Amino acid sequence: MNKVSNIVRPFARPLVLVGGVLLIVAALLPWATFVLNEGPYPDKATLQFFDAPFAVTGFRFHLLLLGLLVLIASFAPVPSRARVLRALGWGGLLVSVISGLFITIEGGGLGAITAADGATAFGALVGLVGGAAVILGAIALGVEPPAHWTLKLPTAAAYAVLVVVFVLVLLGVSLVLTAGGQGGAANPYAGPLFLAFLGFAAGAMAALSATGAIRFVSELSEKHRIFSVVVLLLCALLLPFTDAGSEYWMTVAANIGIYAATAIGLNIVVGLAGLLDLGYVAFMGIGALVAANFSGAAAAAFGVHLPFPVAAVIAAVVAGIFGAIVGSPTLRVRGDYLAIVTLAFGEIFTRSAQNNIGGLTNGANAIPGIPALSLFGADFNKSFTLGSIKLPAGVLYYVLIVLLVALVMTVFANLKFSRIGRAWIAIREDEDAARAMGIRTGQAKILAFLVGAMLAGLAGAVFAHKNGTVSYESFKFLESVTLLAAVILGGMGSIPGAVLGASLLFVLPEKLREFSEYRLLIFGLALVLIMRFRPQGLVPDRHRRAELADEDVGGAPVDEVHEVPGAVKEAKA
Amino acid sequence: MRKHSVKSAAIVVGVLLVAACSTNKTEGGSTAGGSCDTSKGTLTVGVIAPQSGGLSALGLGIKNSAQLAVDEANEKCTVKGYKLAVDTQDDEANPAKGAQAATKLASDTSVVGVIGTLNSSVAQTVQPILFEKKIVQVSPANTNPSLTRGENFATAPARAFANYFRVCTTDDLQGPFAADYLVNDAGKKKIAIITDGKTYGEGLATEFAARVKAKGGEIVAQEKVGEKDTDFAGVISTIKAANPEALYYGGEYPQGGPLSKQLKDAQLNIPLMGGDGIFDGKFIELGGKDGDLATSVGAPTESLPSAKTFVDAYSAKKYSDAYGAYGAFSYDAANAIIASLATTLGDGGEWSEDKRDALIEAVGKYSASGATGDVAFDEFGDSTNKVLTVYQVTAGAWKDAKTGEFAG
Amino acid sequence: MSILLQQLANGVVQGGLIALIALGYTMVYGIIQLINFAHGEIFMVGAYGSLATYTWLLPQGIKDSWVLSLPLMLLGGVVVAVVIALIMERFAYRPLRNAPRLAPLITALGISVALQEAVRTFYPDATSALRFPRVFAEGNLALGPISVPWSGVLIIVVSIVLSVLLQVYINRSRMGRAMRATAQDPDTAKLMGVNPDRVIVLTFVLGAALAGVAGLLYGSYITNVNIDMGFQTGIFAFTAAVLGGVGSIRGAVIGAFIIGLVKTIGGQYMPGGTQYDYVWIFVVLILVLVFRPQGLFGEPERVRA
Repeated sequence: MNKVSNIVRPFARPLVLVGGVLLIVAALLPWATFVLNEGPYPDKATLQFFDAPFAVTGFRFHLLLLGLLVLIASFAPVPSRARVLRALGWGGLLVSVISGLFITIEGGGLGAITAADGATAFGALVGLVGGAAVILGAIALGVEPPAHWTLKLPTAAAYAVLVVVFVLVLLGVSLVLTAGGQGGAANPYAGPLFLAFLGFAAGAMAALSATGAIRFVSELSEKHRIFSVVVLLLCALLLPFTDAGSEYWMTVAANIGIYAATAIGLNIVVGLAGLLDLGYVAFMGIGALVAANFSGAAAAAFGVHLPFPVAAVIAAVVAGIFGAIVGSPTLRVRGDYLAIVTLAFGEIFTRSAQNNIGGLTNGANAIPGIPALSLFGADFNKSFTLGSIKLPAGVLYYVLIVLLVALVMTVFANLKFSRIGRAWIAIREDEDAARAMGIRTGQAKILAFLVGAMLAGLAGAVFAHKNGTVSYESFKFLESVTLLAAVILGGMGSIPGAVLGASLLFVLPEKLREFSEYRLLIFGLALVLIMRFRPQGLVPDRHRRAELADEDVGGAPVDEVHEVPGAVKEAKA
Repeated sequence: MRKHSVKSAAIVVGVLLVAACSTNKTEGGSTAGGSCDTSKGTLTVGVIAPQSGGLSALGLGIKNSAQLAVDEANEKCTVKGYKLAVDTQDDEANPAKGAQAATKLASDTSVVGVIGTLNSSVAQTVQPILFEKKIVQVSPANTNPSLTRGENFATAPARAFANYFRVCTTDDLQGPFAADYLVNDAGKKKIAIITDGKTYGEGLATEFAARVKAKGGEIVAQEKVGEKDTDFAGVISTIKAANPEALYYGGEYPQGGPLSKQLKDAQLNIPLMGGDGIFDGKFIELGGKDGDLATSVGAPTESLPSAKTFVDAYSAKKYSDAYGAYGAFSYDAANAIIASLATTLGDGGEWSEDKRDALIEAVGKYSASGATGDVAFDEFGDSTNKVLTVYQVTAGAWKDAKTGEFAG
Repeated sequence: MSILLQQLANGVVQGGLIALIALGYTMVYGIIQLINFAHGEIFMVGAYGSLATYTWLLPQGIKDSWVLSLPLMLLGGVVVAVVIALIMERFAYRPLRNAPRLAPLITALGISVALQEAVRTFYPDATSALRFPRVFAEGNLALGPISVPWSGVLIIVVSIVLSVLLQVYINRSRMGRAMRATAQDPDTAKLMGVNPDRVIVLTFVLGAALAGVAGLLYGSYITNVNIDMGFQTGIFAFTAAVLGGVGSIRGAVIGAFIIGLVKTIGGQYMPGGTQYDYVWIFVVLILVLVFRPQGLFGEPERVRA
């Protein structure tokens, strides 16, 4: 690469400019030589040549935008210019590759994106070249580290900036959710369009991060934490009023919320206390079963119908008790041995639930017909009118779950920065040292299991009512792995991380249902790749960030401490 | 490193040369419906079934068979003015994911009906969502009686969801029919039961056991194996001690076949009997032995020309997956929806969501001869086709042994 | 009484199979402290490798005689298992050698899911179970009231022979000594001229080869294979390794036989019958770990000052 950039260096700037222009040209060129068998490729990508340069939409619009941004960035004073340009170039490249690849596959050969039957369509190739040119030129310009803004804002201005940013985030989320449109027979290209959008979004985000804007905002929100949390909560509650406020997305978002709440609970056990739990979804199952049995459903074991808040509390308590029981071997068992104990517990739970243990689970028939929640006369599964606005069914569940997640996050944040939270972190770092410092490690570990299980139980209670059926099939090993993956993907011990991780792991499969046959394959490979390239997660916890940074200096990672005692002692000495 | 890039470049260029300028462009492009008038747009038949994970073999068969029915309808211009399309949603055999899939289809106004689900537990979450939007649902595979006749299906049947129909048979017909055959016709009085613990197998075995006792037979052992177990030596030894004359297996062929083989290996030479879940060629391939029995809905396929037509059409399409245990049912379900849609719309009718009520009614009145025999629905949405056939493995192939209607 | 003996025999067969896989778990854990969750999948891939060899590579003449096809299929299965394990080690685990301890574990879970799905998607007709030829003598060995299929007897014999050979290899050979040295103290071993990469690769190769053998034996005994087979057997094998004390060869083998016996005896005599059989395995595991956290034959964790 160095050699190449040496040759290119004198032409770096022109190369970037040419690349930018090529991206714009690509946006105006036709992309497919003929109407594909599934119907025309959307956004007028078929057989159009400069037809309506001002009506370019969809992925072509994104490409146009990227090209214009490249041109602007190469003239305007932008911090970390080369890095910004490189990110934009990658965005253009990804959009071109994804769209081109898909048209090629769907069209049955390269003829679809080059020339066939007298028609030509070089949009994809031009975009590809343009993107590559920008990247190459940017690298030759010399990529410097992202800028760091030292700007100090007065409180009022900071608040204003935060509000604007969070509203933009809200719109961004809505945009991501609706990108590519809802798939289906009428919209066969929803999947690739969404992927192309992701390519654009990734490029744009990386460019923003290169300018230092993202770091600035995150530091700002860190400083005004309470304000940020309130605004973020409000924004989350406003999601139903955006384009994403359809019944479908509200249902998906509500499910995400349930799993996010559970993932935060797991984060206490894994992220804070460092205890690996491979059967965690069982606690959610226990919560769901308790709630189901007190719901007045026909198949419930108890003929009583308790109000939801009461049932939810009982569910949390019962799950918590089981959490403490499962956690008790931690008094004696450590590390990987604990993983197998929790895995065993998870398997025992599914097996028992399947066999209708104690007549409480209705066995393989599951407990169906759990009534939907209703509060103040509003049924949660019906559409709901607020003033003159009619909101789709599922909104109330969404609101309930946003509040639940907010509650769980508050619990987590308070615990994390409390005495017990510090004790957990100490245990995670070095259990023996923690004990030597007077921490009652046994109590603390069981407490971690108990609190984590209670949160999962609470989420399970909502799950039962939201889905209407509680079956052992919803709580299998793969669900535990998915939850663990959500925690790790987001960043262990990090509060927004667990929510982000759960969102990604549930939104992506929904958006990419076209590829559902390969869903698990991609999931597995993605886990491997994340661990390979970003093991600290997308939003690493600050403490953990510090640890991971130390690693290069200190030799063995802190987590390995109790594994190879001798080696680490030497490394530390 | 350098050598490496040269090599990969050469490979890329080679591939490009090979692929260059080829397309699969078909003339007509978007009007794939051939000569039909599809000016009014596309209507969607939804499918909810597992497309990934362990049960995908059955789910893919359901999807492909529905696709086959839709393709045929498009060729024949069954629905005037519209092109039909299949929209398959993966439920991962997980009730919560099934609910999401159902919500997705329910929010699509072009969806006329839904075929699915495979698992009864998933159906439980899908039913209410589709009911809310009055979308007709026809299941090719749910056998749990409570889905149509409510929790007290035996004593006080009451229709659970007006939009829900099924073309397959229910546990409380198939189980007793098998019991009658085993106790009366085959004269086996001491019977052991093994199930896989899943909804289908459990339901079937429960109904079977009750009938055996009523007929004077005896259940000498009742065991359960894990969903993923493959070594049955332990459970076989357990039931062997009870000296059964026959084994009833509540479950599907992937475990049923090996179980039969291992029975033989353990020198327990008794027939294994199961429901339509083991009535599949694969059962024999995986170890099903001569003398094994299975019940299945409808009259034997050889006596049904429509069944053969389906099998031929399916093989002609060269799908990568077999139609499986529920393909023919899925095909019939799709045809029921499509034909009812054609009646509802008539000549020149416009589809709108208001037509969904009329479509449910039309499906309720639907009656035709399909790949699984006569397809029609009773007042609860169950198939009126109560004809069942007992098949026996004879010389390495399923052969019908007794056809009849379960009288109760 | 005859039931008890028969169930003991069944348990020993299951135990033998689990032992072959458990050895892979225990060796890898002993050397790099990694729970290689994907090891069960290596066993599955090995079985499919043997099956592919049989289906596409062997001419009919060889297929007809198990004496000829068995070794060839064994070779095919072992090669596939070893190649996959090497790729896995090189590209997924090696880059994570110094990462936080959870990272390779999650990677292993990811590989496990991905391998299962890859076989399901790309092996023809693998969406459902596939028939596996019985490449061994048909019929049973009858010993009084007990009868065990010959293919089951083969499992017991092979598993015992191979674990003894492995024990001897590790105790006697030069590479075996290097393995033990690395397991005890990787840094000192390095100073003594042991190349840790070679030792780790060898560990993976040995483990995968044993899993490949197990794959073939399993296929021939059960006469069918499916993509789930690695997961369940893998969990049992891992449990066996933990029960015996991870890192200990002897422990893994004995743990495996204990698990096989608990499963069959528990399914026969404990309340709930076979539906709870594997609950008992985990109950035994938890009890052992609570009273002897290092497992039956594991070395107690050194307590640091």
